[in-house]
Amino acid sequence: MMKIDFSGLDPYMPVKGNAEDLDDEILAAPSFKLPVTVDFDGFQKAAVQMVKPAKGTTTLAFIFKDGVMVAADSRASMGGYISSQSVKKIIEINPYMLGTMAGGAADCQFWHRNLGIKCRLHELANKRRISVAGASKLLANILYSYRGMGLSVGTMIAGWDENGPGLYYVDSEGGRLKGTRFSVGSGSPYAYGVLDSGYRFDLSVEEAAELARRAIYHATFRDGASGGVASVYHVGPSGWKKLSGDDVGELHYSYYPVEPTAVEQEMADVPIA
Amino acid sequence: MESVFGLVGKDFAIVVADSSAVHSILVHKTNEDKIMVLDSHKLMGASGETGDRAQFTEYVQKNVALYQFRNGIPLTTAATANFTRGELATALRKNPYMVNIILAGYDKDVGPSLYFIDYIASLHKVDKAAFGYGSYFALSMMDRHYRRDMSVEEAIELVDKCIREIRSRLVVAPPNFLIKIVDKDGAREYGWRESIKDAPVAAA
Amino acid sequence: MTKQQANWSPYDNNGGTCVAIAGADYCVIAADTRMSTGYSILTRDYSKIIQLADKSVMASSGFQADVRALQKVLAARHLIYQHQHNKQMSCPAMAQLLSNTLYFKRFFPYYAFNVLGGLDSEGKGCVFTYDAVGSYERVGYSAQGSGATLITPFLDNQLKSPSPLLLPAKDAVTPLSEIEAIDLVKTCFASATERDIYTGDKVEMLVLNASGIRREFMELRKD
Repeated sequence: MMKIDFSGLDPYMPVKGNAEDLDDEILAAPSFKLPVTVDFDGFQKAAVQMVKPAKGTTTLAFIFKDGVMVAADSRASMGGYISSQSVKKIIEINPYMLGTMAGGAADCQFWHRNLGIKCRLHELANKRRISVAGASKLLANILYSYRGMGLSVGTMIAGWDENGPGLYYVDSEGGRLKGTRFSVGSGSPYAYGVLDSGYRFDLSVEEAAELARRAIYHATFRDGASGGVASVYHVGPSGWKKLSGDDVGELHYSYYPVEPTAVEQEMADVPIA
Repeated sequence: MESVFGLVGKDFAIVVADSSAVHSILVHKTNEDKIMVLDSHKLMGASGETGDRAQFTEYVQKNVALYQFRNGIPLTTAATANFTRGELATALRKNPYMVNIILAGYDKDVGPSLYFIDYIASLHKVDKAAFGYGSYFALSMMDRHYRRDMSVEEAIELVDKCIREIRSRLVVAPPNFLIKIVDKDGAREYGWRESIKDAPVAAA
Repeated sequence: MTKQQANWSPYDNNGGTCVAIAGADYCVIAADTRMSTGYSILTRDYSKIIQLADKSVMASSGFQADVRALQKVLAARHLIYQHQHNKQMSCPAMAQLLSNTLYFKRFFPYYAFNVLGGLDSEGKGCVFTYDAVGSYERVGYSAQGSGATLITPFLDNQLKSPSPLLLPAKDAVTPLSEIEAIDLVKTCFASATERDIYTGDKVEMLVLNASGIRREFMELRKD
């Protein structure tokens, strides 16, 4: 067999190894490697603990008269440490569909990328865009087939199809709910509080965007695991558009400007006797 | 928390289920339909893990339809119950479906019938059945007031009694319930018992 | 029943810190060369950086056995890519390949924390940062590994580029010149070495720019 010269790819300090060991890994169709262990759950738990996935989120989406409004924060934390303030939690599946990210960052990112591929293939095979119901069911079925293996996904699929606006909540337990108003993540109870009190179906796009932004802001204010930038997207008949991205630190002072407080009592020197 | 119950009347059967989709302390939805219409004359009320519930009831529905396509006659309610039980029993030793089922149906020759099937694949033909936290209230209520020859009106009155009891005595009572009925004219929605509306959206 | 299995773990942590900074027309990727296990230093001269393609370089800390396995998979996948497309993979393409490769081991993860640096198709510096199971984002700078918690806040303070999520967008490119960026990286490692037992000995820096690739070293404390 002819040997291929790998030397150009070697690291600065060469390491000896047998490249053929990897043949099956590279040439075979990609598939998930499973650990050889009698206690898969225990291994899985320990491994996940070691790599400490990013957690903590506030995401929301709601349907109103002009389409769907989608918003999210951008923080990722590992325990008490903020590992990123710039996570893109609203994933652009295609020009007409958005997904939100809560739970394991890699799980959400990978399966949404996978869903994007499946949606495009559906489009090519059927000469029409996939419905939001169909796309969300594709995702729900995949996640359900991995149930009990430790995937952590809490997502909303929002989009516009032939039936108008669509919104589904999908999670890694296999749950799939059709609805008009959802919030997912550790900050979701706070977001719901603001969202439920300000929601009307006949909101204008501007009002809806402000409601979404405000709900995210209040969630980041109360939930330590949420923060960073509040991104707001709108999905209408002609696809999605990002409406705003505001640093919630600055948003706080635009909502609640600092007012100079009257000095009630001034410190004065005590005269030395 | 989840409440699913059902009863057989004079010439019909009723299945009632709460309509809340709950995650820990959050109510995501209060108008979720948990009673699947299996075919023209069968209802399947299910409680349990959300994913398993949706996947399993849909699986049964598709298989009942497949049987009808292949053989030209619908599966009887009894056969459907035994099929469902069999699937749960097979799954039980691999990866169990966490679903409890109340199956109601109407067959021309046997009339209305109701089956109780739980996740460990036990099957009982019964007159009345209940699952979930609401079952404690619904069961005793039905034990006290149930009669075999109830009319639809009487049965609905009993169902409303059960719902009222669950709402007033259960700490984590669901706000809304869905009632479905099956009789010689087929399986259909009978009505909602709503104490709160989900998003006030009609057009969406 | 008592446990019949030996309590053996397929993982170790060999420590190490990786830093990458993207500039307007350059990219600096750096990592220390210490490899440890527990309190023992195994070697003071082990490179954590590999050049995967003309314009993409990866630095990895964590478990070096997994890192080597990962590097070999990527090298081989890139070789196949070259045969099929007769060109080098771009840095953003390599970034997604790395993400997928990590995720395909989702249930038996590579215990590797990576930063990928390089130049994109426009010649701009780019840095991609990862978690162990493949979630990734493009950033202006990043630190990974045992010293990341010490270095990241310092880089935030010195470089704090506006978030790429902001709208209206603000220019997120690091304002530093190449020389300044290299000096900053050196300072980072010198500081991290003072407080992190898994960082030290030597820092290796790879600088990519329009004229090619250059390697620099700086000695660090060896205690």
